Amino acid sequence: MEVLCSDKKKSLLDPRTKLLLLIFVSVFVIGNAGGDAAAEFRVILNYTPLLFLLCARRWRAFLFGVIFYTFAYAFAVLLMPHCKGFLNFLILAMTGIVLRFLPGILTGMYVVSTTTVSEFICAMERIHVPQTITIPLSVMFRFFPTVAEEAGSINKAMSMRDIKFGGKKALQMIEYRLIPMMTCSVKIGQELSAASLTRGLGGPGKRTNICKIGFGFCDILVFLGLGAGLAFSILRACGVL
Amino acid sequence: MEDSKKLKGKDLINIGIFAAIYFVVIMALAMLGFIPIFMPTYSVLMPLFGGIVFMLFLTKVKKFGMVWIMTIIMGILMWLTGMSYYALVIGIVTGLIAELILKKGEYKSVKCAVLSHAVFCFWIVSNYIPLFFFADKYWSTRQNFGQEYIDALTRMFPKWMFPVHIVLCFGFGIVGGLLGHKILKKHFEKAGIV
Repeated sequence: MEVLCSDKKKSLLDPRTKLLLLIFVSVFVIGNAGGDAAAEFRVILNYTPLLFLLCARRWRAFLFGVIFYTFAYAFAVLLMPHCKGFLNFLILAMTGIVLRFLPGILTGMYVVSTTTVSEFICAMERIHVPQTITIPLSVMFRFFPTVAEEAGSINKAMSMRDIKFGGKKALQMIEYRLIPMMTCSVKIGQELSAASLTRGLGGPGKRTNICKIGFGFCDILVFLGLGAGLAFSILRACGVL
Repeated sequence: MEDSKKLKGKDLINIGIFAAIYFVVIMALAMLGFIPIFMPTYSVLMPLFGGIVFMLFLTKVKKFGMVWIMTIIMGILMWLTGMSYYALVIGIVTGLIAELILKKGEYKSVKCAVLSHAVFCFWIVSNYIPLFFFADKYWSTRQNFGQEYIDALTRMFPKWMFPVHIVLCFGFGIVGGLLGHKILKKHFEKAGIV
């Protein structure tokens, strides 16, 4: 893939292409649009995020995906015929949900981990999304890891005081875990907003951006692939193929 | 927005921060849905816990449009996480109503804030629409969840339950708002956040 990555661009795909990919995965895989007509297309979409994660050298996310896919299929193929009743129901629901949501989660991981905030804002400006939507969205994606991290630390501290699932004071979880998490997040958020205001976010002037985004060879390939899949599914649905 | 007091960068960042916190809380609750019996409890649990976040959010809201944008973002996220686009379509309307209620109280009245939260919560119920009204279609695309999961859920979602869910959601929206207000007084004012 070295050859395909030009020097100017950090990631393989343009942020807009990534978003299109994300929308396709969520509509066709999670939303299961098209039903049987799009079955083959859906299988391809299932594995596309793995390919891109590999190209972007996100080894951990890639391994995570491979392991989950393998386990889900192994469960479905090896264990299911031997289980009955409630166990069967549980395994079926679990694998079904994993196989349905995993491609979306993996694509999301790919998009978030390879797109910087400035690239995202730049791409959004190019497709004329108003700032009132882009700024909250980009802050949100920047903020998810922070909230998760804070919640993790608070959970650890609180489980020392036996405030956890199955602990003696499980009922106090809301007050002692949710509220500190919110307090921390709001404090961090205030600092974040001060920092971004200093850098001129939301200022009256037109923002400039040094990010060079643009469509390259790979973007065209992805567009062609998605277009072909879409066309194929529509033709199938209309009964032409 | 049309108001003379335009939204500034700081407000937009605030929306983003609270949308992130709110979404994390909602997702944590949504994970319960893997066990079918918890699926109908969304319209009780989500307004209840979401209320705490939302009331804290409202203390930062002083300008027209912030609640509305929050609802739209929730709708976009629901669509991207595969719920359906109903939350986005309905959220655009109910978000505006919630915003107008809040504006009527001039962004200060607690009563209006609680009521606004109850209206805001409609986006949660709107996620149920395909489950209630297009159940066959909804499940025909979700066969891999297993027949027993589907049966268990279909039993829990007869059509007449939908108004009940709306009422529940509205009622617990109010309860959640009041709870949020109480917690706001107890914790956040002490911590100097409000």
